[in-house]
Amino acid sequence: MNGVARAVNPPILQMERVSKRYDRTPVLNDLSLLAATGDLTVVYGPPAAGKSVLVRVLTGLEKPDTGRIVLRGQDVTSLPPADRNIGYVPQSFALYPHLSVRGNIAYPLDLAGVPAAESRDVVQNAAQMLKIEEHLDKTPDQLSGGQKQRVAIARGIAKRTDFFILDDPLAGLDFKLREQLVDDLRGLKTETGASVLYVTSDVIEAMTLADELAVLADGAIVESGPAERLYRRPRHARTMALVGFPPVNILPGTLQGRGASARCVTRLFAFPVEAAPAATSEVLVGIRPEHVRFAHRPEAEEIIAHPIQFDATVALREDLGGEDIVYLAVGDTALTMVDRDHDRRADIDQRVTISIAPQRLLLFDAATGAYLGHGATEAGASVVAAAGAQHG
Amino acid sequence: MTAHPWRQRLYHLLLWIVALLFFSPVLWIFMAAFKSGGEIVSPTPVFIFRPTMDNIIRVIQEPNFLDYLKMSFVLSIGSVLIAIVVSFLAAYSFSRYRPTGTNFIMFLLLSTRMVPASAVVLPIFLMYTVLGWSKTFHGMILFYAMFSIPFSLWILKGFLDGVSLRYDETALVNGGSRLHTMFRVVLPQVKPGLVAAFIFNILFVWNEFLFNYILGGQGTTMIPVLLATGVKQGGMTDWSFVASISLIYMLPPIIAIFFFQKYLLVGMTFGTVRGEV
Repeated sequence: MNGVARAVNPPILQMERVSKRYDRTPVLNDLSLLAATGDLTVVYGPPAAGKSVLVRVLTGLEKPDTGRIVLRGQDVTSLPPADRNIGYVPQSFALYPHLSVRGNIAYPLDLAGVPAAESRDVVQNAAQMLKIEEHLDKTPDQLSGGQKQRVAIARGIAKRTDFFILDDPLAGLDFKLREQLVDDLRGLKTETGASVLYVTSDVIEAMTLADELAVLADGAIVESGPAERLYRRPRHARTMALVGFPPVNILPGTLQGRGASARCVTRLFAFPVEAAPAATSEVLVGIRPEHVRFAHRPEAEEIIAHPIQFDATVALREDLGGEDIVYLAVGDTALTMVDRDHDRRADIDQRVTISIAPQRLLLFDAATGAYLGHGATEAGASVVAAAGAQHG
Repeated sequence: MTAHPWRQRLYHLLLWIVALLFFSPVLWIFMAAFKSGGEIVSPTPVFIFRPTMDNIIRVIQEPNFLDYLKMSFVLSIGSVLIAIVVSFLAAYSFSRYRPTGTNFIMFLLLSTRMVPASAVVLPIFLMYTVLGWSKTFHGMILFYAMFSIPFSLWILKGFLDGVSLRYDETALVNGGSRLHTMFRVVLPQVKPGLVAAFIFNILFVWNEFLFNYILGGQGTTMIPVLLATGVKQGGMTDWSFVASISLIYMLPPIIAIFFFQKYLLVGMTFGTVRGEV
């Protein structure tokens, strides 16, 4: 998005090669993470990637085994939680049952000894922002799940600080409420100008919210950058696999030949490639579901000179309203595609011809997962240029 | 069930009979306290009689009675309060830090309550003699505190285990100290446990006889000892003395139990049926 502005902002948070293990099981592996001041940085990871431990280490509830955490330019690695001045919205609401909603929201302020009059205004503002004003005098057990969550967020943001950690705050909420809270949170961030670290296991939430998106897998940050860049030009196979919905198709393949005559062969098809020389010839081919098309419905803007074409059977079709997710079977290989046209001619058990533009295919090293290059058309580099130039 | 209302009525009648049977000694005490000596020991029980306050007035005027009653209150409430403060701190540590061998330590603490009191009274008497604590007030109150800690600890740990660690963590991250977390965040959430531990243990101490008799002295005697030692007067059993002291002594716990019955239940189950409170 705004690369220049980002470079100027000093980092509010730097995690340097942080590792943490429980018993013998490593949970964080040499994790490094940078969050720019004023940004909403989203850490997105699948379940069990190490998100909660990351939060615990950041807040000071756990000490990392090795590595350094620098917050606002100060090394806080061994600082107790209370001294880190972090606004915190825990994953479980953890609203105090013995306090009213008002008491809960004012809690961090009361702890900091903020005068009552001032605290009342802050609580009022936070409640207004999260639309829970009429619940201020209730106790938490009188609230619905969504209201509790909003109280927890209000309590988190009421704190006087410039850095907030939100640990999967929308988990388990219904869809409509999530949508609304995502809007609220975006509004909140622009209103206060604070830096936010937002941890989530929902990829769509992650992509909608993030100024900067960091992908966490197996206890380490695989890749970080603007969400759009991560989606369109991932530098790692895991990024491609994790960022996007429905999940990407990944086919194993083999590189053959070199330079202009290099080709990639998978068990479904072969195509020419423009790729950096790899250590091995084993590669992974990533295919976004929206780039898989029915041959009888080519996209208007995408007249492909030499598309990859093959036959498949429609195994399942999920109608999401705006689009359908179609599960294809090609022999014993499964492929997922997105059909925006609700094409009923391609219903379950129908034979269809599939068409893929080769320049949309991304190649990754099978051993390291590193990005190698992309597919090309037989005709040459002219068509490829548009998609390929960005990769540098 | 609804098809046989007479059957259900029969069950209820049976329950009433059993309950009244259990209540009958209390009823006997209640009536005896207001009877004259002859009516108490009459071979055919006397149910209709002219009640007299003489016994109760005589007991209250007994030289040591009010001192002993006061000591019952002071020792029960004082020792259990000490025990609850200690137990809460201990239960918090056991619940939150889970030191190695937590379960075994919890078992050891309860072990003095697993054997008959008469089995441990001698070693404790010897220890107290060496320490010079027998017949002293602080010795007695500390003994009863020690006596009350195991159950309080078990009850409170049950309650604390039910309070999510996330509360503590949220408090710590928001800038609270550990003491703040313990007393302002966690403690308010285990109030029913505190009441249960209090009521449960106060009943033990209130009615305790043996240790008070062996370890206590003139200044620390409670009513149960007076009951046992004062029962024989003039070569015969003084029933009206027993009945009227018992009646007065029964009233505080009966009132307390009436108001705090539900906490007794959670006390007996070490907090595992918290939902009932």
